[in-house]
Amino acid sequence: MTFGRLTPVTDLPVTDLPVTDLLVTDSRKTIVVTGVGVISPYGIGLDCLQAGMLSGKSCLAHTKDVYPGFAGTIAQVCELPVYELPLSANGADCKGADPRYSRQYSRSDRLAMVAARDAVSNFDCENVTFRESGVFMASTVAGLSEIDPAIAEDPAAWYRRDDGLARAASYPPAHVADAVGEHLGVHGPRCAVSAACASSAMAIALAANMLLDGVAPMMLAGGSDALCPFTLSGFNSLQALDPEPCRPFDQNRKGLNLGEGAAVLVLETLAGAQSRNAEVLAVLRGWAMTNDAFHTTAPQQQGNGLADCMRLAMEMAEVSGDEIGYVNAHGTGTPLNDIAEANAYDAAFSGRSHPVPVSSTKSYFGHCLGAAGALEAVITIMAVRRGALLPTLRLTDPIESPSVNWLRGGVRHQPLPLAMSVSAGFGGSNTALIFGKSGFGSGPS
Amino acid sequence: MTPNLASITGIGSVSPYGPLAGLIPPCEFEPKAITAWPTAGLRRAFLVKPFRPSDVVPGLKTRRLDRLSAWALVASSLAIQDAGIDLSQVDRSRVAVVFGTGFGCAELTEAFYQSAAVNGWSGTDPSPFPEGLANAPASHVALWHGLRGPNITVGAMGFAGESALIQAASLLRHGQADLAIVLAGDTLTRAVYEWYESADLLSPACYNAKPLPEGAGFVPSEGIVALVLEPAGRRDMRSYAHFSAGRCAAGGKTVESIQHMLNGSVPSLTICAGNGAPCAPSSTGILAREISGPGAAIVEVRAVAAGLADAGALLHLILALSSRPRSGQALLLGTSGDSGFAALLLELA
Repeated sequence: MTFGRLTPVTDLPVTDLPVTDLLVTDSRKTIVVTGVGVISPYGIGLDCLQAGMLSGKSCLAHTKDVYPGFAGTIAQVCELPVYELPLSANGADCKGADPRYSRQYSRSDRLAMVAARDAVSNFDCENVTFRESGVFMASTVAGLSEIDPAIAEDPAAWYRRDDGLARAASYPPAHVADAVGEHLGVHGPRCAVSAACASSAMAIALAANMLLDGVAPMMLAGGSDALCPFTLSGFNSLQALDPEPCRPFDQNRKGLNLGEGAAVLVLETLAGAQSRNAEVLAVLRGWAMTNDAFHTTAPQQQGNGLADCMRLAMEMAEVSGDEIGYVNAHGTGTPLNDIAEANAYDAAFSGRSHPVPVSSTKSYFGHCLGAAGALEAVITIMAVRRGALLPTLRLTDPIESPSVNWLRGGVRHQPLPLAMSVSAGFGGSNTALIFGKSGFGSGPS
Repeated sequence: MTPNLASITGIGSVSPYGPLAGLIPPCEFEPKAITAWPTAGLRRAFLVKPFRPSDVVPGLKTRRLDRLSAWALVASSLAIQDAGIDLSQVDRSRVAVVFGTGFGCAELTEAFYQSAAVNGWSGTDPSPFPEGLANAPASHVALWHGLRGPNITVGAMGFAGESALIQAASLLRHGQADLAIVLAGDTLTRAVYEWYESADLLSPACYNAKPLPEGAGFVPSEGIVALVLEPAGRRDMRSYAHFSAGRCAAGGKTVESIQHMLNGSVPSLTICAGNGAPCAPSSTGILAREISGPGAAIVEVRAVAAGLADAGALLHLILALSSRPRSGQALLLGTSGDSGFAALLLELA
């Protein structure tokens, strides 16, 4: 075993190759996406998301009494089915039995379960290989949605009332990963990541690492976060919320809107996907994670950490800035984030022959925190597969950024071999994922 | 044989034994009475004695931080010092921080709820909110030391510590970092303690001075351990142990999976890492005997580390390293739930 940079997956130069030849000499080191599941304010499934976003519909709505005394603009999931039993009959093996603190699924858990179920809707969930799958989920809210302030006054009394013990047990982000694993009846490694708003992009990156490590044949990776008073109040106390629908990358942006949802990708090696004749939806060409090491809440203003992250992901994918056809931005709409992010694009894509197309899809359904990176990964995959570049809504007066072509107005249709999804979060965490169009797998999905 | 992937070259900890660089001198340790919040009669736990972080790491300012963030800063500083690393000579964009935790910054999360209880959701105090995020300790470690590599906070039911070590080794293996600071820990708060108590998970030793009856609950604990993890053989350095392989799973064929990971290696030592659940110490011991064979030494679950629940694995490891001669291969083994397990193969140096 040696250490150092990732072994290149191909010795061939990538430029000027047709899409189907972009990859791959070692199919065991190529990570592909073979399933996508999503629940968003548009509804359940990629079709709902796709139809809503391509039509330019915004799910952001001004809501009175989000909690007592607070009104704001948010995006909520309206339809959330409740699954009481594991999808797989064998999944019951994994469940604990003590009724005093038996599983109670939080809203974040349930969002995650719906997205995971959607992601594997065409899979044989009783298949032995599938049962060995791992789960890497992200959440920042997790079970906070199930807990109210009275817990701070007298925790023991709070646990005695209304299933308090079980509700509190859903507090850790790891509970979301367990909920998905139990629901699908898979018993590979389960892990959760909580790195603020970069969490679920990071979960996808770490799940890809685990596949390269050979610890599971498939990984279900993504994120889930529910809207709840805790986070709404927290961002409100930081004066980070825009009372109106947000305007990412606009000179007059005032803050973010919170949303909720979940997205799960099924990742596996190309060799694994080919062995079961699976349809490959996209190729995860590169990924990287960095930290600003600058401030606990504010991004480094020149965007150096984020720019480094994008460069590392492109280095791993062995592509140049010119080859990235679209960037799905973090783009929260806060004054500090968006200018730092614009500076990061200028740094990462300097020298590019033409400005890189960038948009923030948080303008459609808000910032879903720990789910944002995975939802935006799904949107990026959708963009690659359909050749559809979504604009930022309500962007009328963009930040000046010489390296960026801010997408606004209508949907742009063009071939899109490669696209990047960028995430950042409190604590200075950054993650970049690069997805490529797939030339593989004409088998059944 | 399984190749060594990474070496543990530095250890720092903040635990009931105090803030320490390197191994923990063997000593018996009794639970202490809880005085930080009102209790209905005597309640005991393994607690970190209050100390001023700036007395250990000059210049640290931790007044607004969760105790877990403050301890992470102290433990990481001690581990880097123990490894003999001068960070000014290191490319800090290639240094990762990987933190495993069960509850994250529970104190400030509870403080935010307290603020909502007093002032309503519209009048909450902003300061605990970002500092209560689970990744705040890892972020502070990056900020203080200027570490710009991957910064990851993970949780896993029963195996947060093991998962942190596995993820850090994976980053090194894939060239995504040249050095990693691995941390695992939790603080004990009133809400956490009373949850354990309400769920009947506590040992009778929490209520009186009697010795711990085996298999009858656990005594909650708190603290954090930091390890410096480097690619094996990269520099001439003192090493406590080499990490060779690791697996976690929620179920399945446990023994076969672990034996597959061992790849023919025969550990001479198995360290049981109980995770706090009442059944875990004994179930871990049974699995340890099944995996290790009749001749192997088995280090039973240590109560101080078991009290750290999900985040106790690294404390189990350094307590075992502290109390035994270091040679041969060791298996750090934990169980959780019905059939979940974590297994780390280490070569002791």
